[in-house]
Amino acid sequence: MLYRRRQGAIYRFSLHMSGSAEVAEDVTQEVFLAILREDCGYDPERGTLSGYLFGIARKLILRGLERGRADVPLESDAEDTSPRHLAVYDDPLAGLARHEAIEALRRAVQALPRRYREVVVLCDLEEVDYADAAMALGCPIGTVRSRMHRARALLLEKLNQDRKPRVAVDTWKTMRCAI
Amino acid sequence: MNCHEFWDDLPQKGRDITPAQAAHLAECAACAAEWAPHRALAAGLRSLAEEWRKVEAPPRVEAGLAAAFRAHAGFTAGHSPARSWWTPVFAWAAAMAGTIALATVLMRGYQPAPAGPGRVASPRHTVQSPVEMAVLDADSDDDTSALGEGFVRLPNAPRIEPNDDYNVVRVELPGSAMIDAGIALGEDQAAETVLADVALGPDGTPRAVRLVPDGGTN
Repeated sequence: MLYRRRQGAIYRFSLHMSGSAEVAEDVTQEVFLAILREDCGYDPERGTLSGYLFGIARKLILRGLERGRADVPLESDAEDTSPRHLAVYDDPLAGLARHEAIEALRRAVQALPRRYREVVVLCDLEEVDYADAAMALGCPIGTVRSRMHRARALLLEKLNQDRKPRVAVDTWKTMRCAI
Repeated sequence: MNCHEFWDDLPQKGRDITPAQAAHLAECAACAAEWAPHRALAAGLRSLAEEWRKVEAPPRVEAGLAAAFRAHAGFTAGHSPARSWWTPVFAWAAAMAGTIALATVLMRGYQPAPAGPGRVASPRHTVQSPVEMAVLDADSDDDTSALGEGFVRLPNAPRIEPNDDYNVVRVELPGSAMIDAGIALGEDQAAETVLADVALGPDGTPRAVRLVPDGGTN
C-alpha cells in the first residue's frame, strides 16, 4: 500500500519543517488525500512520485506557516549573511555522547533557515536525490546543490557555536592562528 | 580536479567521495582540512537519519485517511452522473434506518419497568427515569467531549470511548425525541422537527445526539 510505504518520510519531513506533530499529521493525511483525488496532477514524466509527494507536503506546510499555524516562525526564511567558512573543529560533534550529538544536530537542523532546512531534511535525512528534491522544491538541481553546500556550512557553524558558547568565534579563530 | 570543482560537486547525501575527489584531498591540504568537519557532519546526519527513521505517523492518521477515503468515495458515487437508480433509494433507506434506530433507542429509554405480579409500579417522581439515569451516568464516566461540544449520550447507548471511530450524521428529529434524550428545548421547538447531529458508533448504532445550533444555519 502506497500510504504505508511513504507515510514515514512524508510525516518526518512535515515534522522537521513545521516543528509540530499536529501539523505533521494533518499534512501527511492531506498529502495522501490529494493522491486520491482524480485531479491530483501527478505526471510520471515530470518526476518520481516521491518528489511529487514531498512537493505537496511542502506546499501544505508553507500554507500552514503563512496562516501562522505552525510552530516554526517564518523569519528564518531570510537569507543568512554570516561568514561562509567557519569550520574550525575537525569534528563538531566530538566529545558528545551519541544521543547528545544527535540531539544537538537535530536542534541545529531545526534552527536552519527554511530554505536550507528543507534541502537537508530531504537530501540528507530522507535520502532523496537532488533531482527529486528539485522537483519537490520547484527549483533547478543547481539551486538544490548550492543550498545543500550552504546548509552544511551553516550546520557546522551552529554546532561550533553550541560547543563554545562563551567564546566569540572570531576571537577563537584569532587565538587559534596565534598558536 | 581543482578546489572549486571539488566543492561544487559535494557527494550527494553526504556519502563517500569519488576517487577523483579523494585524489584532490590527498594533494590539497586546505581542502582536506576543510573537508574533515564535513565528513563528521555527514556521519552525524546519517546517525540522525537512522534515529529518525523510526518515527512514523501515528495510526490515527491512517484511520482518518481511511474514513476520509470512504467519505470521498461515497461523495463521488453520490455525485456521479452514471449513478444507478438504487443509490438514492439506498441513501434514503440508510437515513430511515438510522432514524428508526435512534427512535428505538429513545423509546426504549422511556419504557417503564414492567410491574411484576402483585407489585405496584413505583410512582415516576420517586425514581429517576432511565433518561435521567443515563445522562447522570454519562456525566460520570463518559467523555462525550471526544465527539464535540453539546453531545449527550443516548439512553442505554454504550460508553463513549475517546479512541473509537465515530461518524456524525445530521438528521431531522422530532423535538420531543430530543427532550427524551435529555436536551432542553422550548415549547415551540418541542412540537416541531429540529436539526440534530447524531454520533454513530463503530458498529453503526447511535451513541449520542446534540441539537444543531441555530438550526444549522451557520
